[in-house]
Amino acid sequence: MKMFDKKYLTLLRELAVTRYKLKDQSTILGFAWSFLNPLIMLGLLFSLFSARLGKGIDHYAIYLLIGLVQYNHFSSSTNRSMHVLLAMKSLTADAIFPKELLVIGSAIADFVELIAAMLVCLMIAKLSGVELSLPVLALPLVFLFQLTLVLWVSLCLSCLYVFVRDLTYIYQAFMRLLLFATPIFYAPSFLEKGPAQYVLWLNPLSHLLDFSRSLILKGDGVPLTQMILFFAVNFALLYGSIRLFRKYEPTFAEYL
Amino acid sequence: MDPIIHLNDVSKSFDGLRLRRMVRIVRRYLSGNGSGLEHYFALRQINLDVLRGDKIALIGNNGSGKTSLLKLIAGLYRPTDGRIDVSGRVLLLRGVGTGMVDELTVAENLFLYGVIYGMERSKIREKFDEVMEWAELKDFASAELRTLSSGMRARMAFSLARHFDTDVFLLDEAFAVGDKDFKEKYEEVFRKQKNGDKTYIIATHDLDFARMFCAKTIWLQKGRLMAFGETESVLNRYVGPNYPAPIRVSANQ
Repeated sequence: MKMFDKKYLTLLRELAVTRYKLKDQSTILGFAWSFLNPLIMLGLLFSLFSARLGKGIDHYAIYLLIGLVQYNHFSSSTNRSMHVLLAMKSLTADAIFPKELLVIGSAIADFVELIAAMLVCLMIAKLSGVELSLPVLALPLVFLFQLTLVLWVSLCLSCLYVFVRDLTYIYQAFMRLLLFATPIFYAPSFLEKGPAQYVLWLNPLSHLLDFSRSLILKGDGVPLTQMILFFAVNFALLYGSIRLFRKYEPTFAEYL
Repeated sequence: MDPIIHLNDVSKSFDGLRLRRMVRIVRRYLSGNGSGLEHYFALRQINLDVLRGDKIALIGNNGSGKTSLLKLIAGLYRPTDGRIDVSGRVLLLRGVGTGMVDELTVAENLFLYGVIYGMERSKIREKFDEVMEWAELKDFASAELRTLSSGMRARMAFSLARHFDTDVFLLDEAFAVGDKDFKEKYEEVFRKQKNGDKTYIIATHDLDFARMFCAKTIWLQKGRLMAFGETESVLNRYVGPNYPAPIRVSANQ
């Protein structure tokens, strides 16, 4: 693939570093916001739901925190990547290189924050008495899965956004629905069997939260078949999204 | 000699996005007198052969299709009709420092700009001091780009662009904002390239520059190719035969 040329990998690195430097640059707390946001939400959701929905869930605060960090990362990263072609319009319209690098660079810049936020999460878990065991070492795999998910969603969104600017509002509404359709503040078993469980099963984020919580809170491994299936489906979708992006890329310059 | 760029009956029209077009159709249907589908031709039936090493000026009034032609050759636009063959690496320079970021420092931007145009980081590092010196920006390496004037940015971008390596350079009024001193340095660089094997197509309104650097000129008007040939004869047709040749006046005259 063209994007794996050495010069494009160098460009990808440069774009990711630039996006990372620019993120939150005008804010006082900068990177800390990637963790403060989930903490604020944690305070709110914990005070609202710990008595009812948190019943029967060990370390409910950490359970919530893991969910919020991963959901927040997915939400903000896909949202930022959706706008990147327009935000870097001069590059999209005037420079000659595979434009998926702009989207991937943006996703990588956000991915660094996910890793840092999850490390803080682990530290808080340890301090609050969660016994971390060997399976926690498999967490980087979950991060990789989340990156794959963010990448294919971002490639589809950024491509579509060039043509349909209403997507910003549609996606905002979708993310609000996703907040409730993902077991962030409730356990999957809370939902009745039937359509709601199918929604959870189809929602890739709910699988990712399940993986992380199993590794951190329960100290269990993740069923291998579930992991392989998740990776295979997301990898296939990533491949499909790159093909889609490539198909429409030659028209980007005309519409920006 | 086989042409490095070949355009055969190339046309380019812009007719809006399918979805926007759909919205227009619905509007027209609902109102009964909507604007309907309008599309316009940026370029019509262009035939062109560019040889390796050609230095070509691209002239024409604003809106004549110069940028569209360069973007088609660069592969950033797809032709509506016709065929384009380019056998070599192409680089398009538009505006001052495409991709540079105001919030980053001059040094950071130099690396970013270089990498965008295919330079290795190691090569940028190697040329860094010379580039900054040529641009007369040695004391500004750690300044934020936004503190630089547009002329200084042009110097910085052009200073690095001298080291870009490609077969075909497409320039779209890329560095037209510099002062007199910069223009002299800039022209000196081009003068050295005049007999080189690199191919240049330069969209410009500076006819003196076209005379100085380009042996051939393309004249576009309203998307049509009016003339392509030897610079002096094309310019004579473009501005008329009475257009004065450049007069050099020394300071003590």
